[in-house]
Amino acid sequence: MRKFLRMYKPFTRAGMLDAMTYRFNFICFLLGEVLSCFIMYFVWVAVFNSSNSDTFMGFSMVDMTVFLFITFLTSYLTYSDGAYAVGEEIRDGSIAMRMIKPVSFDMTFLFQEIGNKIMVIILVFVPIIAGVEIYRYIATGAVMFNVVNFLLFLVSVIIAYLISFYFNVCYGFMAFFLKNLWGSNILKEVVISFLSGAKIPLAFMPPLMQSILTFLPFASLSYTPVMIYMGMYDTTAILWSLALQIFWLFAFWGGSKLIWNAATKRLCVQGG
Amino acid sequence: MFANLRRMMKMHRIFIAQDLKRMMEYKIDFLTGAFSFLLGQAINIIFLAIIFSQIPTLIGWTFEEIVFIYGFSLLPKALDHLFCDNLWRVGYFIVDKGDFDKYLTRPINPLFSVIVELFQVDALGELIVGLLLIGSTIGQVSIHWSVLNVILFLIVLPFATLIYTGVKTITAAIAFWTKRSGHITHMFYMVNDFAKYPTNIYNSFIKTVITYIIPFAFTAFYPASYFLTGENPWFNIGGTVVISVVLFTVAVFVWNKGVSAYESAGS
Amino acid sequence: MIYAENLKKEFKKTIKQPGLAGSFKSLFNPKTEKITAVDDISFHVAKGEVMGFIGPNGAGKSTVIKMLTGILTPTSGQCTINGQIPQKNRKQYVKEIGVVFGQRTQLWWDLPLTETYSVLKEIYEVPEDRFKKRMDFLNEVLDLQPFIKSPVRTLSLGQRMRADIAASLLHSPKVLFLDEPTIGLDVVVKDNIRKAIAKINAEEQTTVILTTHDLSDIELLCKRIVMIDKGRNVFDGNLHDLKAKFGQMRELCFEAKSVDGLLQKLDYKAHFRVTDDDVVVNNNGCSVNVRFNSDLIPVADMLGYTLSQVSVNDINVKDADIEEIIRRLYKQEVDVNA
Repeated sequence: MRKFLRMYKPFTRAGMLDAMTYRFNFICFLLGEVLSCFIMYFVWVAVFNSSNSDTFMGFSMVDMTVFLFITFLTSYLTYSDGAYAVGEEIRDGSIAMRMIKPVSFDMTFLFQEIGNKIMVIILVFVPIIAGVEIYRYIATGAVMFNVVNFLLFLVSVIIAYLISFYFNVCYGFMAFFLKNLWGSNILKEVVISFLSGAKIPLAFMPPLMQSILTFLPFASLSYTPVMIYMGMYDTTAILWSLALQIFWLFAFWGGSKLIWNAATKRLCVQGG
Repeated sequence: MFANLRRMMKMHRIFIAQDLKRMMEYKIDFLTGAFSFLLGQAINIIFLAIIFSQIPTLIGWTFEEIVFIYGFSLLPKALDHLFCDNLWRVGYFIVDKGDFDKYLTRPINPLFSVIVELFQVDALGELIVGLLLIGSTIGQVSIHWSVLNVILFLIVLPFATLIYTGVKTITAAIAFWTKRSGHITHMFYMVNDFAKYPTNIYNSFIKTVITYIIPFAFTAFYPASYFLTGENPWFNIGGTVVISVVLFTVAVFVWNKGVSAYESAGS
Repeated sequence: MIYAENLKKEFKKTIKQPGLAGSFKSLFNPKTEKITAVDDISFHVAKGEVMGFIGPNGAGKSTVIKMLTGILTPTSGQCTINGQIPQKNRKQYVKEIGVVFGQRTQLWWDLPLTETYSVLKEIYEVPEDRFKKRMDFLNEVLDLQPFIKSPVRTLSLGQRMRADIAASLLHSPKVLFLDEPTIGLDVVVKDNIRKAIAKINAEEQTTVILTTHDLSDIELLCKRIVMIDKGRNVFDGNLHDLKAKFGQMRELCFEAKSVDGLLQKLDYKAHFRVTDDDVVVNNNGCSVNVRFNSDLIPVADMLGYTLSQVSVNDINVKDADIEEIIRRLYKQEVDVNA
């Protein structure tokens, strides 16, 4: 294990340095993106002001705010641009550099991205969690922070990130073979943001749709960790959804291995 | 003056034809992108519909009125995106790589030169969705489409577009001092999302910012609310014209300052 | 025609501070240092003259060209071209000049060449009939016909350079600035481009300022040379004078019959009593290359001594390239400073 970590440490370092170099750009992007959370916050304030009820389909105003910001945080943490990186590296041939090293290709991408994530954790994770908890304390007058839920949330987010990573690796290979990166990337973003419940909470959807979407892998990317954080799931639901997450992780991990093998064969053929 | 304009139109036509040709070449990619955009907007509207299934009005605005404002907000955004998309590249790499040199060796305005080079066909999706949304509200909202209002509608659109272009021009010009500013453009550009909803849902701080500082509220809510209610034409329509002209004048000033501070690249 | 008077250009450069704390500091309180890229450069070019503007990398050539073309504003000093100051009334000024930067194209990447010229026709307000005549002429000189329908991105480097030069000449400029117009091209293409430049200069009396690293460009095109180094003027005159000033470096190349004791037999330094600066020997097995200063060592003596010491298969003497002159220039600077 120690040897394993030592082997991949340089990749993590490279990812971190990359993130450091562009940190100013990163902060600007972040501020731009976080604006949309605030817009939705004000929309919900207006919705609750216009409504006679204190809850909206089972969500209180506090719930809705927590949902908005924790969803934003989760999507930032689980975001993976492996799809793009893999596609680009196959195109320009630099993937060969990864193939000739005695390391596995997915681990090099993964550890590089983890280096990047350390930056995200400092700049996004800590302020948002702190902000949400302070807001919850002021709004309800009680400490709502639940250590068990928080730890389970962390576990779930890590699995969600790994699912996202392997899903994007699979998708990157597919898109490369389809030679249609721009359009299909937009399609992917739109479809995922809807099916994962990041845009509209799955709880707002018709019951049948809700249960289908819960089974699909997309809910595992964002909705599951958010619901765990918010304490919306009881113990059975938590165990069940974590098991589902693990199932999808293995599915995409296996898928990426299969496609990788097919792709390397094809690369060798093309290389003559 | 008119001869000048005709020359520029001729030039512009060549680039437009070129970009349309490229769109046809990458048909599938373009259609996938356009379809995805349509889908994304549809999801937003479904979201609004879900909200309105629980409440009669959003602080006084009906579902159809909100859809009208939302659709209106897409039009100036699409027009700017269609004609002025190249400004993004100024902040991302044109200045950084020293590629701005070539604009300075030509006897036409560099700002115009940059803008005219790209006709961003991707924006057609936004334009169509915006028009469809506005069309879908006909008969559902109480807009009196008199000749005067149609004329005002057509007049206010280019001015609203100018607000987008102005914000992009100022933030792109920052690159003349800092080499890169694309991320700053992104940060300010994202503020436009505030314009999709009635301004009175925000607190007074945000309201002031989006009205007078980064005046995106004039790209959608103010003019749209005039057409919906017929109230305050001087502020809602006149304000759009005045604010956009002021903003764009400032933008051109900053841009020109930037051009004279431009230091090229390398030795 | 072109007057440059005491041109000076300073840049501010941000000093990157190492580490996280350093980069945080430089975000709020950036440290800058002043770099003088061009320092007090003056010259004059007459109408119809072709001037070679040379110097080592980073000498400030491009910066001078950019000031002359109006892209950069001089920190002090000024230039007038055809009675106009580039930075004042820039739009009027650039109608009279053509600019080619060899390192990057000025053309639109995706536009077919014909369309590119149509756009430029509008930009420079070239009337239709003059445009047609001009295209015929440029076609003849630069042979654009084979690729006139292709988008710029598909052109080879040589084709692209011809296209770029044609673009810069479309509006019949009085002055043509060529920054490294032959960089990275093969010999045949270089030759074609030189011929085209010479032809245009001869037929239209176009004044040309050319920067290059290739001495052949200078020899074939330029009667006049201005050489700068570290932002300063170090030479102004013709090629013959340049060689006289910095030493007539020549290169002796031969193939020895045997490699045994080859270098021991050839002790040029002791024989001619010169220093390392004036004779440099390189060999790769039997093939030997000797660079020498022909002002100090006459070619005949060099040949005589070499042939008396070793038996050779093949021997020839040629001019050394501009890089050699630049190398020597550096040596001189070092000596002066020491």
